[in-house]
Amino acid sequence: MPKENGSRSGEEHLRALYDQVESQTAEALEDLVSKPSFGRLLAATAENAAALTRIVSDTADLVVRNLRLAGRADIVRLARQLHRNEDKLERVLQEVELLRDEMGADRESKHERVIAT
Amino acid sequence: VPILLVFALINTPAIFDLRPGNSLVEFLLGEGFDVFLLDWGYPDEEDADTGLDDYVCDELRWAIRETLRAAVAADLTLVGWCMGATLCAMYCGLGPGPAVRTVRNLVLLTMPIDGRGSTYERWVGSPDFDSDRVAEQWRILPGGAVDFANKLLKPVTNFWSTYRRLAVQVAEGSARPDAYQPMAKWVGDNPNLPGRAWAQWIEIMYRDGALPAGRVRLRGRRVDLRRIDQSLLVITAGSDHIAPREGTMPLFDVVGSRDVTHFDRPGGHIGLVAGSSARRALWPDIATWLADRSD
Repeated sequence: MPKENGSRSGEEHLRALYDQVESQTAEALEDLVSKPSFGRLLAATAENAAALTRIVSDTADLVVRNLRLAGRADIVRLARQLHRNEDKLERVLQEVELLRDEMGADRESKHERVIAT
Repeated sequence: VPILLVFALINTPAIFDLRPGNSLVEFLLGEGFDVFLLDWGYPDEEDADTGLDDYVCDELRWAIRETLRAAVAADLTLVGWCMGATLCAMYCGLGPGPAVRTVRNLVLLTMPIDGRGSTYERWVGSPDFDSDRVAEQWRILPGGAVDFANKLLKPVTNFWSTYRRLAVQVAEGSARPDAYQPMAKWVGDNPNLPGRAWAQWIEIMYRDGALPAGRVRLRGRRVDLRRIDQSLLVITAGSDHIAPREGTMPLFDVVGSRDVTHFDRPGGHIGLVAGSSARRALWPDIATWLADRSD
């Protein structure tokens, strides 16, 4: 029995020690990421990753287009045009609905006037 | 008065309706409200030139219009959360006008309006960081990259402790897959962010405090938060590291509403509204506030 108690308290002790280490590490890393120098490193990494992504993407697109196939840029351009058309249609639809509502209101008021007379 | 729920651009609005028994949508429907949800969708490269002006002046305006038509109502309650709350505040700051007047009540959950002084500012607020060039090169910010950056604010908690705790719970048999899985799925579902919107966000939020100062212009129209005259409920979370309370407080200095309520509660950015205790601790208060202003 004492042995069992002893091992349990040992395990609890270890667990508490681990929790302490984990929370201190968390605190230290949160301090680290909030430093301006880490910010500069992250910003430079993002800038380089973006530039690299663009170079790889443009090169791949060039290869595909030289094979007389539609590249990603062509598909994106097409999709963008489709979206623009959808937006224009949405605006037209809104105008039509507005006119329909106004006409409906007009008709209703005329009808009420006729009933009143 | 119908309710339109608006979430951030960087995660899906599924968080409003996470799972049966833990869904704000379900709760509000149960309280008798007509509830609508704005889904921004999954932007891709063709949306790279979509900016905050498009989101506020077109998408949000159209969503409000559709909500009013579907609910056959003259006005509505706008509930924004995180970045979605900022977009809602910007929309109301464009008033006065017939479109903005249709918003009767405005509820802003854990909303950033001034990110200066935050860790994000130290990352992207420096003038040396050319956000426009990054946006132009990347065209569209991968959702995973934005999520990684957000998780990096608390690296040990997000990349290690969460999974360690889950492993312990599984070993002990106390894990609740029905609660964990929907949340984990939502956390991992990260739509891309259009480069232009991202660059504008950085400029507005982390560089010069333009929003509370009234210097933001969308399509030539000034966003002036003093024009917000709706009944206003602002909710901040005490342990919010994504949108710290200090980043929301400047709103109270400028807002023009006469009916302003502020709930400051313990909790995190997401946990406050979507956590397991939200149903008891926060949602009833929101519903009571809304009910008092929905006649």
